[in-house]
Amino acid sequence: MSDPLSDHLKRLIVETLRLEDVKPEDIQDDAPLIGSGLALDSIDAVELVLKFEKEFGIKIRSSEEARQALASVSSLAAFIRQHADPSRLPA
Amino acid sequence: MQASRPARNPGPSWGYRFLRGCDRVLPEAVFRPVRGIGTAIAMVWMPEQRRHSRDYLALVLGRRPGWRDIWRHFFAFEEALMVKLRVINGRPHRTVYGAGAEDFRAWLEGGGPVLLGTFHVGVSDLLGCQIGGYEAQQVYVVRRRVGNSHDIDKLAERFGGRLHFVWVNEPGEMIFALKEAAATQAAIAMQCDRMEFAARTEEFEFLGARRRFPFTIYHLALIFGRPVLLSVGLPDGRELAVLHASPRFDLRPGEPRGQTLERARAHFQAFLFQLEELLVRHPYLWFNFTRMNPPVGGPAATPT
Repeated sequence: MSDPLSDHLKRLIVETLRLEDVKPEDIQDDAPLIGSGLALDSIDAVELVLKFEKEFGIKIRSSEEARQALASVSSLAAFIRQHADPSRLPA
Repeated sequence: MQASRPARNPGPSWGYRFLRGCDRVLPEAVFRPVRGIGTAIAMVWMPEQRRHSRDYLALVLGRRPGWRDIWRHFFAFEEALMVKLRVINGRPHRTVYGAGAEDFRAWLEGGGPVLLGTFHVGVSDLLGCQIGGYEAQQVYVVRRRVGNSHDIDKLAERFGGRLHFVWVNEPGEMIFALKEAAATQAAIAMQCDRMEFAARTEEFEFLGARRRFPFTIYHLALIFGRPVLLSVGLPDGRELAVLHASPRFDLRPGEPRGQTLERARAHFQAFLFQLEELLVRHPYLWFNFTRMNPPVGGPAATPT
């Protein structure tokens, strides 16, 4: 069964980065986001971090947190669940 | 697998301290010829840097460079380094505004968050310090950390808490540091000529060919909603630099992203033509001792 938060994050990634050749469902939950996998670069990462902070009212407070959160969609979802106000998460 | 050597600036790790020490005790009439001889010795021991210097000088001079040209190129680099070391030693240094620097001056006096693009030309490194010298201004400098960055570390010390560094070869750190920098009113400065660690590059006309240049600064402008200013500082004597800068590139509310990037390309290209004109007059001041931006084919237009 798909996770509503992971699905929402995939849509946000595609929309925020204007990925024309990628559909949200193409993104694997455990595939690395940066470098391999989606092959996002550091500028994409900055754009995503700013988007997620705004969307979920979270704050990534260190480079270590940024590294962990952006490892994959699964780790991103786990990070957001841990730090965001539950009312801001998709039902 | 061959272990890669950590990146570092040319020269011995004690070299900067040695130069600073000599500058304190030796009269310039003695020290300058010594530096000239030292530069010639360094040149002999740096075949790769010599080759890159020769390739670049052939383009900018329009002829095959001789040994004297290559020595002048190396010596210009050494002299720009000496200017920085003298600033670290506490000597006064000031910058005057060249033609076209009106927007830069207005920003410097008025402040506000901005992205500053610069190049490995002349004493451009000191521009960050000049800005840091303005009490109201904070600057985050995005650059590559190398083994012996004594000069940069000391400049940061000299300008106190107003200069900060974001190291581009530490990607995890960089993402977070850039985000933090963008959350402040500080300027973010980065070099726009070297291809290493450039996340986004595009083709531009430069020195007779289409060449790839980093274009990351304009993508960051879109992400952070900041204007862009490009600049270089050329030395004019021992204690003076002339600042050459682009007009300010501003984002327009509601403008489609593709259109903004088109304007950005035109903005960067115009400054490259401006830089090319400066380099024709001061060919030894672009410190291209690594492989310069390779041509990607196709005829180049004449600068206008």
